[in-house]
Amino acid sequence: MKTLKIFIIACIVATFASCEDVVDVEVQDGPKRLVVEASLNWEKGTQGNEQTIQLRESTPFYDTHSVTSVTGASVVVTNTTSGEDYVFEDEGNGTYRTTSFEPVMGQEYSLRIDYNGEVYSAVETMTPVTDITDVFQDKDQGFDKDILEAHVVFVDPMEEGNNYLFKFHRQGDLLPDLEVGEDKFVNGNEIDWWYEIEEDKGENVVPFEPGDVLNIEMYGISRPYYDYMKILVSQLGGVGLFETVPLAVRGNCINETNPGNYAFGYFRLTEFVKAEYTFVED
Amino acid sequence: MNSKPQLSPAIKSIVWLLWLFFLGCMLASGQTSHTVSGTITDKSNGETLFGASVFLSGTTIGGVTNEYGFYSITAPAGAYELKISYMGYNDVTIKIILNQDLKHNIEISEFSTELEEVVVTADEPERVILRKPEMSVVKMNIGTVKQMPVVLGEVDVLKSLQMLPGVTNNGEGTGGFHVRGGAQDQNLVLLDEAIIYNTSHMFGFFSVFNADAIKDVKLYKGGIPARFGGRVSSVLDIRQKDGNSKNFALTGGIGVISSRLTAEGPVFGDNGSFLVAGRRSYVDLILKAAGEDNSVSFYDLNLKTNYSVNANNKLFLSGYFGRDGFTLDSSFDSSYGNASGNLRWNHIFNDRLFSNLSAILSRYDYDLEFSEDEFKWVSSITNYNLKYDFRYYWSDAFKLDFGVNGIYYDFDPGEVTQTADTSPVNPLKLDQKRALESGVYLNAEHKLTPKLTAQYGLRYSAFSRLGGQPITEYANGQPVVYNPGLGIYQRGEAIGETDFARGDAIETFGNFEPRVSLAYLLNEDSSLKAGFSRTAQYIHLLSNTSSVTPLDVWTPSGPFVKPQLSNQYALGYFRNFLDKTYSLEVETYYKTVDNRIDYIDGSDLIGQNTIETEILNGEMRAYGLELLLRKNEGDLTGWIAYTLSKSEQRTLGGIAGGPGINDGDWYNSSFDRTHDVSVSGAYRMNEQWSFGANLVFQTGRPVTYPNGQYEYEGLSIASYAPRNSDRLPAYHRMDVSVTYVPRKYQNKRFKGEWVLSIYNLYHRKNAASISFGQNLETGANEATRTAIFGIVPSLTYNFKF
Repeated sequence: MKTLKIFIIACIVATFASCEDVVDVEVQDGPKRLVVEASLNWEKGTQGNEQTIQLRESTPFYDTHSVTSVTGASVVVTNTTSGEDYVFEDEGNGTYRTTSFEPVMGQEYSLRIDYNGEVYSAVETMTPVTDITDVFQDKDQGFDKDILEAHVVFVDPMEEGNNYLFKFHRQGDLLPDLEVGEDKFVNGNEIDWWYEIEEDKGENVVPFEPGDVLNIEMYGISRPYYDYMKILVSQLGGVGLFETVPLAVRGNCINETNPGNYAFGYFRLTEFVKAEYTFVED
Repeated sequence: MNSKPQLSPAIKSIVWLLWLFFLGCMLASGQTSHTVSGTITDKSNGETLFGASVFLSGTTIGGVTNEYGFYSITAPAGAYELKISYMGYNDVTIKIILNQDLKHNIEISEFSTELEEVVVTADEPERVILRKPEMSVVKMNIGTVKQMPVVLGEVDVLKSLQMLPGVTNNGEGTGGFHVRGGAQDQNLVLLDEAIIYNTSHMFGFFSVFNADAIKDVKLYKGGIPARFGGRVSSVLDIRQKDGNSKNFALTGGIGVISSRLTAEGPVFGDNGSFLVAGRRSYVDLILKAAGEDNSVSFYDLNLKTNYSVNANNKLFLSGYFGRDGFTLDSSFDSSYGNASGNLRWNHIFNDRLFSNLSAILSRYDYDLEFSEDEFKWVSSITNYNLKYDFRYYWSDAFKLDFGVNGIYYDFDPGEVTQTADTSPVNPLKLDQKRALESGVYLNAEHKLTPKLTAQYGLRYSAFSRLGGQPITEYANGQPVVYNPGLGIYQRGEAIGETDFARGDAIETFGNFEPRVSLAYLLNEDSSLKAGFSRTAQYIHLLSNTSSVTPLDVWTPSGPFVKPQLSNQYALGYFRNFLDKTYSLEVETYYKTVDNRIDYIDGSDLIGQNTIETEILNGEMRAYGLELLLRKNEGDLTGWIAYTLSKSEQRTLGGIAGGPGINDGDWYNSSFDRTHDVSVSGAYRMNEQWSFGANLVFQTGRPVTYPNGQYEYEGLSIASYAPRNSDRLPAYHRMDVSVTYVPRKYQNKRFKGEWVLSIYNLYHRKNAASISFGQNLETGANEATRTAIFGIVPSLTYNFKF
């Protein structure tokens, strides 16, 4: 279920043609932090042995030029039951890679990063995902009934507490789009998750058209990661008047040496399924 | 009981009060005195007048009429001139011989309706304002409200109040108002004594109060009298008209957004009157005609009737019903609104004891229907309120108010029902909550010396959160727990539930609320006033957004949510000058609020059954200086208002541990405005033409901007600075209006006028919000401003028949 507040915002925009424009606004410069993108994604039905972790640095808000990749760190993931270590090799471009990872469903793993004399750590559990049972297109749902949307159908498992991350990326678009879901109101049901792209002339965005190819990824995620991503996703694209006050999202990477200098990003372990859908004439 | 720490000061204040009451009674007895009492009404329509001065000329004996137009003056036997004056009305003087108790019901007439009668200028009675300890009060005549330029031609009581010092809103297109740095839910809004939970239509573009049905508006920004309770920031007391008791009349208007029609007239022979006022927007009709699937609409209906049983008994019945509707592309349908009703019985026991008994119902609810997902979401708050208020005019020097009040609340925070079996959404019902709020008060208005008048009173309020629902128990009693490693607040672990039977109280609170103010007359034209008030608030509006929405839900105090307690200190200087044409009011205040709810980072209030896992109890403080210079008489009237203020909040970790929200630092509340300047003027050129203008300047609203970015999941993620550490650009605008009364109407019964108003004359794009995100085409971060109103001209036609 999409949140109710989206409707309010949509209503206001729809009814009062309020005026929006891009303006120059000065913002503050916060502290530079380590950014940990430690997403160990295990595609359903694969071995999952090849995994990468990205380390970067944060930059001022409007910065487009800085090199952000972090090199020279030591990155190790440990199976907390067996004690087995998986060392991620520094590739010298901010990417750290291993080919020997052994994913175990429901297993807890820890992450340890040594960088600039400070130690960052995190703990997370490998979370499963259900299968996508169908993908189809339609116009009848969504905010706009005149445009195409994609439908992703899956059956939520019976026991409550399943959380989902969706990544949608239309081929040719610059940016992917993220959405999160929980089974709070829909536990155990067959869920039809729709996704549409609304027109935005200012940014040259057009709705789905026949021939468009959409890549869909659906991840099973832990509750803490859901809580984290829910805020992060809700703040993508800006935060309006009727939305929750924005904030600096805190992930699960703790700086053990200097707690105030925490890292952005998250150490996650997720199972995922993917699908590709090509839109056809309605 | 959370009142333990203040028990001893409370007892001290009671002893003090009793002593003062005793003193008052002593002073009151002794002389042979008689009483003159009665009701003051408007000659043209029979409406009772609230706040009219009634004085014995050449003495300082007198007072003002109450909400029902009643006055009672007691003076030593003798011959007097009884003088009645009321702003905008002609003074009336009546010779009386006070050798027995007298009854005088007096009609007075407005300046404009019978110009030949304008004789006297205000004199003696103006001093009432100076003498009365009442401070921090704004009283607005509905006539003044109607003169001001407005957006889209909709006369708006709340927007007019925001032109006065100490009153602001949260930006264009947001509902409600803020008083002296307080939150919106800290205002007690009463329409004919019924609590109104949501004051706006169309998410705040317009207020729910139809100016044609309203008699007067009084806002207590501080120094809240003991008879009011339940909110810590202000009381907005709005009274509906009783209806014309002289003859049948129709009033109406046709505007850009809505049209309105009011019918009023006498009923029950000469013993009563009625009023029915309706207003409806027609944006939805236009949208439908244009083939648009989205729709927005509102309407409201005001009803009032009264019946005089005899000279000492009068019954009133009033009602309000308002509703907003929203439809989005036929997939989403919503409606929300207030409904209220009040049955009152005015009883005059004798010429010195006035009483009013009210039985009031009010309700706010919303209803959302998601047709494509086949479910419905409903939520409501309902209260039943019984109150009995007395005023005893003991002597000229001593007047006593006392009464009791009980409110039963029924909170239904949310229920999901499927509209078809195929709905993918499961049914859900959040726990229904019940509570009983009661109050008892005693308040005296006491002329201690000819120059010093005091008002002192005490309210005792009690609140019981009633059973009939389970209460969750948490590990270590912590619904919210600080995670020191991650540096965030998280939901506590539920370990069980306790079921409370319907008859049981889950938790009970009690608070003494002393209210004291003093007025000292420095000379004929100026006075100093000082006040202290303590107020308690037991119900809270849950809202973690920058601006409240109609879908926010009220919650009662209980095991995890403590009552808000506020102390406010105020000091003021008041002066009339240049023959009382001008007046100056300067006030300064300092107030604190304990137990203000604050929301942890990432709080989720939608469909949340255990809101205690999303909040912490914090505190607020606000202080400021307010200046108001008014020109009250002449062809040009108006005011200049300036406020310099600060409003902050802080939330420590408390039992949850950790430093607190925003690291436990004080941060600007979103209602903080450093500078706020409003200028409002009305100029009456002649019988045909009059003009109005507003000028507003405000420091921008505190907001949270990004202070960095990082790449994650192929996107640029904005990281935000500490809460409310940035500000929107300053807000300013100018509005003008012209009113034209065609000559042909002037001496006819039918009166019509055209009002042209231009809102935001110089088309400033005031930011309602600025949001930050990645441009989807270029990938670069940018800031997007949303401005609600540019220049908005509108034309309205009003008529009276």
